[in-house]
Amino acid sequence: MNASSSGKARAASSSQPSESSSKRKRGIFQKELQHMMYGFGDDPNPLPETVALVEDIVVEYVTDFAHKAQDIGSKRGKLSVEDFLYLVRKQDAPKLNRCKELLSMQEELKQARKAFDVDEEKLAASLD
Amino acid sequence: MKQFKDPFEAAFEEQEQSPPESPAPPDDPDAPAAPAAPSAAAAGHDDDDYNLLDPPSTSALPTSSAVSAAAAAPSGAAKNREDEEEEEDDNMDVELGKLAPGGDPDKMAKMQAILSQFTVEQMNRYESFRRSGFQKATMKRLLVSITGSQKVTMPMTIVMSGIAKMFVGEIVETARIVMSERKESGPIRPCHIREAYRRLKLEGKVPKRTVPRLFR
Repeated sequence: MNASSSGKARAASSSQPSESSSKRKRGIFQKELQHMMYGFGDDPNPLPETVALVEDIVVEYVTDFAHKAQDIGSKRGKLSVEDFLYLVRKQDAPKLNRCKELLSMQEELKQARKAFDVDEEKLAASLD
Repeated sequence: MKQFKDPFEAAFEEQEQSPPESPAPPDDPDAPAAPAAPSAAAAGHDDDDYNLLDPPSTSALPTSSAVSAAAAAPSGAAKNREDEEEEEDDNMDVELGKLAPGGDPDKMAKMQAILSQFTVEQMNRYESFRRSGFQKATMKRLLVSITGSQKVTMPMTIVMSGIAKMFVGEIVETARIVMSERKESGPIRPCHIREAYRRLKLEGKVPKRTVPRLFR
């Protein structure tokens, strides 16, 4: 009742928030979602309708999240990562920690790559 | 070709293949030589980051262990789920020493001890859990279409992918709990997902729609 009507309404109202593209192609996350659901406890071959439903839920979640972040960000001027972090902080702690982890990992990788590029240049220069 | 990788894992393996000592594919035992060097270099000036990374293991434990304890029966491979939430290295040599997100060696040792006792199915599941993730390009396209602006930066995409992945995890785990309450088994069906979604909404983990629904 509520769930099925919300399922239809979700598909209809998803065209409201995103002004640019109202048509969402089916199965944009399908392959990755299947692996992810298996990793989190589902069967090795999840049912296709389950995957489709989870994809709808995730897209709606990302949409709402991004909209809220945009609302916060518009006050500050432009959208930034800080807005996402602020929203997550309100939700629950593990997500926030995970975000921090990911960001710091990205920093580390950037540093490591930069250091590596510099080494390669030095090597090339010394060979010449 | 690379498929279903974590953003930073994929990026890290790219980096590993560039040093000349490791021409082999990532799960070759020669690979640890390469990751040991960057992580040693990074460990020097990233010590304060490890303090950030310690809380995930402790705070992720209570929530996920409560969720996973009930989910253990049907899936059978979720017994160590509470430790899977920790970002520790697994048996794949490519990630040995790389993540070191626990920071301290005895967490890594604990994780290694647990991982060595995984069954094959558990190992497969854990590998899927670690390696799966949303494609950055897809997520970026989605974010651009939502926000209508082109200024979607890389950190934003990465953060959003991580958040979405954890959200999927919550849904699937809650759905497994629902299934165990109803004493059903087998693949998860949409009705379980809907019930799990409803429960998550009640708990407030799902952001409410800011746009009021005009047509119910």
